[in-house]
Amino acid sequence: MSAAAPRTDIRLEAPPPERQASLGAKLRREWRLASWPVRLSTLCLAVFYILALGSPVIAPYNPTRQYRSLPDCPPMALHLAAPSEWRRGFFYAYPMRMTDAVRRTYAEERGVRTWVHLFSRGHIFTTAPGAPPYFLLGSDALGRDLFSRIVYGSRVSMFIGILGVAITFSLGITIGALSGYVGGLLDNLIMRWSEIEMSLPSFYFLLALAAIIPSGMSTVKTFFMIVAIMSFIGWAGFARVIRGMTASVRSVPYVEAARALGASRWRILRRHVIPSVMGYAIVAATLSIPGFILGESALSLLGLGIQEPAASWGNLLAQAEDVHALAHYPWILLPGVFIFLAVMSFNFLGDHLRDRLDPSHLR
Amino acid sequence: MASGKGGINRRDFLKIAAAAAAGLGAAGCHVDYPSFNHAEQQVLYSSTTSDPRTFNPILVTDTASGQVTGRLFDGLVNVNPLTTLPEPALAKSWDIADGGRTITFHLLRDVKWSDGRPFTAHDVVFTLATIYDPEVPNSSRPTLTVDGKPIVAEAPDDYTVVMRIPKPFAPLLYAIGFSIIPAHVLEPALRAGSFNRTWNINTPPRKLVGLGPYDLARYVPAQMMQFRRNPDYWMRVERDKVLPRLRGETVLIVQDQNAAYLKFMAGQTDVYSPRPEEVADLLDKAKSLGITVQKIGIDTGSLFFCFNRNPRHYVRAGRTNPKLKWFTDLNFLRAMAHSVDKQGMIDLCFHGLAVPAVSDVSPANKIFHNPNLKDYAYDLKLAAGLLESAGYHRAGSGERLDPEGNRIEFDLTTNTGVQTRDQMCAMFLQDLKTLGIKVNYRPLEFTTLVDKLTNSFDWDCVLIGFTGTIEPNNGANFLRSSGNLHLWNPNQKTPATPWEAKIDQLLDEGASVMDIKARAPYYWQIQQILHDQLPVIETVRQIAYDAYKTSLENFRDTVWGRYRPELIQFRES
Repeated sequence: MSAAAPRTDIRLEAPPPERQASLGAKLRREWRLASWPVRLSTLCLAVFYILALGSPVIAPYNPTRQYRSLPDCPPMALHLAAPSEWRRGFFYAYPMRMTDAVRRTYAEERGVRTWVHLFSRGHIFTTAPGAPPYFLLGSDALGRDLFSRIVYGSRVSMFIGILGVAITFSLGITIGALSGYVGGLLDNLIMRWSEIEMSLPSFYFLLALAAIIPSGMSTVKTFFMIVAIMSFIGWAGFARVIRGMTASVRSVPYVEAARALGASRWRILRRHVIPSVMGYAIVAATLSIPGFILGESALSLLGLGIQEPAASWGNLLAQAEDVHALAHYPWILLPGVFIFLAVMSFNFLGDHLRDRLDPSHLR
Repeated sequence: MASGKGGINRRDFLKIAAAAAAGLGAAGCHVDYPSFNHAEQQVLYSSTTSDPRTFNPILVTDTASGQVTGRLFDGLVNVNPLTTLPEPALAKSWDIADGGRTITFHLLRDVKWSDGRPFTAHDVVFTLATIYDPEVPNSSRPTLTVDGKPIVAEAPDDYTVVMRIPKPFAPLLYAIGFSIIPAHVLEPALRAGSFNRTWNINTPPRKLVGLGPYDLARYVPAQMMQFRRNPDYWMRVERDKVLPRLRGETVLIVQDQNAAYLKFMAGQTDVYSPRPEEVADLLDKAKSLGITVQKIGIDTGSLFFCFNRNPRHYVRAGRTNPKLKWFTDLNFLRAMAHSVDKQGMIDLCFHGLAVPAVSDVSPANKIFHNPNLKDYAYDLKLAAGLLESAGYHRAGSGERLDPEGNRIEFDLTTNTGVQTRDQMCAMFLQDLKTLGIKVNYRPLEFTTLVDKLTNSFDWDCVLIGFTGTIEPNNGANFLRSSGNLHLWNPNQKTPATPWEAKIDQLLDEGASVMDIKARAPYYWQIQQILHDQLPVIETVRQIAYDAYKTSLENFRDTVWGRYRPELIQFRES
């Protein structure tokens, strides 16, 4: 073999591999690119998911424990102890005593102190077992700690969206891509079916389905049932969009070029079709999470979602339906603030992701 | 605004209008909206939560319809809510003869229906015939049936009605207050078989013919009902005065209780029955709103937990659900009764405005309430002890098992939309959880719940309320083992337990004693049996309040109803 033999065959020159930035560097770059509302939203969501994952540690009390002498107790002030007392604890509160059962007015008992212990007995903060409780955000009408209930409620409210989206989008992408790529009779059947499903009045459908949940079911199972029901209604619209995108991507020049170069169908799907759909999918998923959170709230508000004594942000907010309660115990609106923040954060994040991922916006 | 006795002439009006226009700019100007000036109109505004379902007083089953027909119609006898004794109404007097088997009612003369036709004994006989007509579904028939037989009524003349009953029946005077309907209007409908469709809510109001204090002037569904004084109303206090004193009543239909409360606070309605949590607010603002808030007493009804002990629910395909054994085990039921935190429920669910209920008859029923019952104290240790000694032990995981080793777990339900009941259930559930008993709580929509209780019997434990009656025999549907509201095991052919047989017997005996004082012990004994055997576990009774404009005169509510509503009027200023 001669060393100087000229090369006669034409080879496709592989592009030099992109410099793979480390994940940390990528995240730092994204953070720099994000505007402050997006950064705030991300922080907010991070906090909420930490609340959900770490509920037993973060919540100071059992969310169903009823302190029956302290219904509708206002949020308590936290006091910093004098340095000389730091051996007993850094913070304390004055226990509350109901002064009027009819009006539910409370007075602090200045003579006594409830020590709020940090990192004790498996909680970030809590009070000693026999001691009067410390209500950071007040208590509800049965004397349960509202903060603990919000923390445990975040498990339902923060995961219902993720779970629902996971079901909706795996269904939607699979069915949509199949329909768009295969086409023909299958496409026709699937699309007509999705039209039927989209024409169901979803809220009444939910009410009907929620009513047939058997009574012996635990809260967790009920919760999964609701997610499944909501996802079952939700996939159709999404699958239609995916199907349309798949069908249009099939005939764009770069896919045809790949096909001309002999790429396999699987490679085309994986390298060209799905990535072009993925951007939309991620954005749509993020933007549809608030819908699930609000849907759960609406169902719980109507008494069909998560039932007592379990907590979700929706059923906690149901207490605020009462004008009287709202006027006198305004802290029961706090779960609404959490719902508001979560929904806003997902929307900001979704908008930002659209700017970053949607191919039509790529710079 | 100033308004002279003789009215305002045009020039004065212009002056006032100019002054008002000038004053509008100034702070503190007070504008009277004419539609809210109820005192000048002498029209009482109130609100109700739901639309009536019928205007036919015989067919009424719901309270909203009852409120309407109560204004349009009248009965032979009224029960005085203060004394809880029957008083003459359309029957000016009655004689009891034949050892209580014959009662002769002497009717008022010169009473006119609202269409001008005279009221006669024939109307009374016709009304009774309608109630006994098997084609006409109504709730009066059971209380007017003695020993399974109807009351035989005849009219020897236009103003006398003679009623014959198979045996002495003391509750008759409490059952005889049903609304009298006009034979000349409704007899053709009854004959034609269309009675059940007459006087429905689509009937034009002017076609309704009654004897009551008011006529229905206007009904706008989901909005309001307007009543106008019946100028021919039969009741007179002094010869020259017309009754009722109000010129009319307007009932707004407000479904949301919050909205009803705000409407009262804004002065759009004149009377309101506050929820416990609203009482303190109303008391605090009474002066500035010009209202009076009054305690009217302990609620007449009863609110209780009931365990299903109906074999039809538990025996399936030859196998008996262990729940039936628990729910008929007196030790288990006693433990349940000791787990109801009544004081907690009073403080948390009723803002302190309730009392523990011991007997199923309210203390408001002064004659028939048994005051000698001893309450089951809230004591979870005692409850746990009772369960242990009856063989319900805790497993290692803390779950409580019955003697056969089944996990104790049952469903608890109540009707949706009532926050106090939700809270009471949450408290009961929490206390049972500490005893190792698992309770699945699922409230149901009211009609679904009623269907389960009376038809499918598919329930374990329920928190439900019954309204009270002055005459205990009117609750026989609930007490008698054959009754359809004998919740824990309805429609029994023969009493399932000796104590249910004893209650049936006491009901029969109590109804045949004519002297009211002598009757009480029979019903006391029934309460004692219910208290001992615990088919129902009583919870608490609300202390009822009412609030009304201070400018109303002669306004007096009692737990049994409004006392002499025809005398109510706005004070002339």
